[in-house]
Amino acid sequence: MNFNEIFGTFGLQSTSFLFQLLIVLVKIAVVIAITMLHVAYATYFERKVIGHMQVRVGPMRVGPHGLLQPIADGVKLFFKEDIIPSNADRTVFQIAPLVAVFATLSSLAVIPFYDIFYIANINVGILYIFAMSSLGAYSLIMSGWASNSKYSFLGGLRSTAQVVSYEIAMAFSLVSIMLMAGSMNLIEIVQAQQQYWYGMYLIPQFVAYIVFLIAMLAETNRTPFDLPEAESELVAGYFVEYSGMRFALFFLGEYIGMIVMSSLAVVCFWGGWTVPPILLKFIPQLAIVPGIVWFILKVYFHIFLFYWIRATLPRYRYDKLMALGWKILIPVALANLVVTSIIKYIY
Amino acid sequence: MTPGSYIPTEYFPVLVLILVSIAFGLGVILIGGLVRLKRPYKEKLTPYECGNPMVGAPREQFSVKFYIIAMLFVVFDVEAVFLYPWALVYEDIGLYALIAMILFIDILLAGYVYAWQKKAFDW
Amino acid sequence: MNIPLPDLTPIIPEIIMSIVTCALLTVEVFVKDKTKDFLGIICIGTALAVMYMIPMSQGVTFGGMFISDGYSSYFKFIFLISLILTILISFKFIQREDAEFGEYYSLLMFATAGMMIMASSADLILLYLGLELMALSTYILAGIKRHDTRSNEAALKYFLLGAFSSAILLFGISLTYGLTTSTNIYQIAEHLKQGETSITLLIAMIMIICAFAFKIASAPFHMWAPDVYQGAPTSVTAFFSVGPKAAGFAVIGRVFFIAFESLQMDWTAILIGLAILTMAVGNILAIVQTNMKRMLAYSSIAHAGYALLGIIAGTTEGLNAVMTYLLIYAFMNMGAFAIVILLEKGENIKDYNGLSKSHPLVAAMMLVFMFSLTGIPPTAGFIGKFNIFMAAINAGYTWVVVVAVCFSAISAYYYMRIVMNMFMKPMEAEAKIYPNPANGAALLISLLMVFIIGIMPSVVIGYTFQMFM
Repeated sequence: MNFNEIFGTFGLQSTSFLFQLLIVLVKIAVVIAITMLHVAYATYFERKVIGHMQVRVGPMRVGPHGLLQPIADGVKLFFKEDIIPSNADRTVFQIAPLVAVFATLSSLAVIPFYDIFYIANINVGILYIFAMSSLGAYSLIMSGWASNSKYSFLGGLRSTAQVVSYEIAMAFSLVSIMLMAGSMNLIEIVQAQQQYWYGMYLIPQFVAYIVFLIAMLAETNRTPFDLPEAESELVAGYFVEYSGMRFALFFLGEYIGMIVMSSLAVVCFWGGWTVPPILLKFIPQLAIVPGIVWFILKVYFHIFLFYWIRATLPRYRYDKLMALGWKILIPVALANLVVTSIIKYIY
Repeated sequence: MTPGSYIPTEYFPVLVLILVSIAFGLGVILIGGLVRLKRPYKEKLTPYECGNPMVGAPREQFSVKFYIIAMLFVVFDVEAVFLYPWALVYEDIGLYALIAMILFIDILLAGYVYAWQKKAFDW
Repeated sequence: MNIPLPDLTPIIPEIIMSIVTCALLTVEVFVKDKTKDFLGIICIGTALAVMYMIPMSQGVTFGGMFISDGYSSYFKFIFLISLILTILISFKFIQREDAEFGEYYSLLMFATAGMMIMASSADLILLYLGLELMALSTYILAGIKRHDTRSNEAALKYFLLGAFSSAILLFGISLTYGLTTSTNIYQIAEHLKQGETSITLLIAMIMIICAFAFKIASAPFHMWAPDVYQGAPTSVTAFFSVGPKAAGFAVIGRVFFIAFESLQMDWTAILIGLAILTMAVGNILAIVQTNMKRMLAYSSIAHAGYALLGIIAGTTEGLNAVMTYLLIYAFMNMGAFAIVILLEKGENIKDYNGLSKSHPLVAAMMLVFMFSLTGIPPTAGFIGKFNIFMAAINAGYTWVVVVAVCFSAISAYYYMRIVMNMFMKPMEAEAKIYPNPANGAALLISLLMVFIIGIMPSVVIGYTFQMFM
């Protein structure tokens, strides 16, 4: 089998294939570069936001207003020793952080940042993101088990139970979006929202949005649902034994997960890169602003929400966490789905 | 369209990104391995227990609740998976889909009420 | 696109069973009553209503997947009868056994609904669905005595082996599907009539036989039966020995007589081996048992062997004989188990020593059931065996029948040993019995039916024919 045949299975001729590959690689490089930069500065942003909310100043020493702090952190982590505990399950221990970063990073493939800028346009976008976020649960249980330490074991168990519980609520809340749009393609979902004068599903699907927002916090293990990490009792949960670059990969996975979830919220509920038509009608100048700006603004609003909630709310108790997920969110999301389908049938 | 003739070209970038993200993860670890320190000693390699020597085995019995959650997850997730295709073709099928899904959710609901009353969600 | 609603008439009995069961399950958790008897009464009412409805809901639906005809209706009667008798004998018993959970009745109902789906399925996928519904419920039923180690052992063994057999069945189904491009048994038959046979097809069929042989507890797939029968609560054992077995025969009848009709030579040869082995294992090992439930387990294995003869015959007469036999077997076996439950200590064969002196009526009833299980006229057991053997002889399998009769003679030893213990042995300790109206009703029904079928077989057999033709 020569290259042409291999490429042929993708329906491509070899020359055009290389060209397409190049385009894809450039897109990926852009997305990854921006994401990495974002992750670096998201940590800075987080520390600053929370600092100011708590009447502190946050990092100030490295560079002006501590702007070089994330770079310094990255360099430090890069040179740190990579410790593998002697009774850890070496292979699994080493694979777990890779899975964490792989699961979230590859979710970026289907997110439409702009109507002409996306890596892939596939029909099952939401399903793909679900699949990848479920894969993320493996990294938790793998690291928790392989570390062979009590903290990470408990952290791994807790976070797996938590992630799978909230995944159901999240899935049910997004089913109503699929129902409204009649599609799982994220681009089509954004376009379907343009038919309303307000241009977003946020208003008809407010209940689903709230459920999604809560489930999003739990899926990414953020406060107030950061029990897997729970510094005060589990030290750091499932990645307590990790250090150096492997630790950084978990960190990276978590922050990219935040971006992916925020983007999903923006695409499904906030109309993605579009501006509400009513706004465009009154202020036509807004059309000049490229869609990617709106998208990034909306994503950053959600990321700010993450930090805001972290600075405001204390950590949930585990039984309450599970009760919230199973006893409130799932029935609410299901009821919302049924109501949506009935209303949709009537109209 | 005949079976087997469909070529998922639009998935090609996804495949590339998957490969790139694996390469990225491996890359930072391998390149980091060239420059970082490596000075292991016995105490450093013991499991972390806040500085104390390790007590007991780390993988002890844990609450049976986790198993119950896992089972319930499988049940509900499969239900959710059935809902996806339903949501996509809802407009085409109409009332029949609505009735079928309400019945389906009712069956789910029976199990849900049962699990709730059996305190499967209480810790 | 407008999808018409499928015709639900043929499946109404199953739907009612399922709805009532789901309702019971959810209602039960809200009711704080200590006693769960009302659940059993609702179950019996439902079962009777469903029995009344079955003859009215005939037809084919879901694109030929689900068939409700005379054959399936007859088996559904057997399942519902065994369900009703099981519930009757378990009312006070499960309180005694500390196994009174609301789920007990729901699981029995679910298992019965699964069997009904099995009997009606004309598609291997639907068959598998019904089989799993039945099997999963029975696994839990086996372990319903949660704090009893034997019960737990029974549930785990049953589950592990049952999961294996399900997997083998799935392998067989998928191979069959691959070879015949259909899971519908009529289409499989159409395809196979064109005369192609291959070793793969044979393997597929053998896998399906293995799985079904497991369900009917036929040797060499009988290993689970003694342990499960002993470990499970006696009322559940009674249910196991009748319901799933009858369901297994129902699907064997349908799958082999219709789907694999053109391979009759092959499966007959396999089933003859299985039947003889089953009779040998069941009858010979039953002799050495000291535990009543284990003995009845081996006896039920042996009975599966006899019933297989009807399938081997491969004729309508044979199938009718199997159906009659299973009905008779349901009554006589339920009766025997009802006696075991009636006694405070009925687990050991020694417990029956001198029973005729303390409780002559109980001993007399046990005598009838033991005679019937042996196959002595004028009890129903004789008619059942007679029909089966006749069918096999008419189909030309005389030598198999001779073997079966020999084993039947061996079986007289262990059944008669119970009778001898009851009537000849001196009483060791006064046996205590727990009579209650429900158990009494079950005993009475079984006893009457054993005699009615034994004395007037043409009524029942005529009914079988009427339903089947």
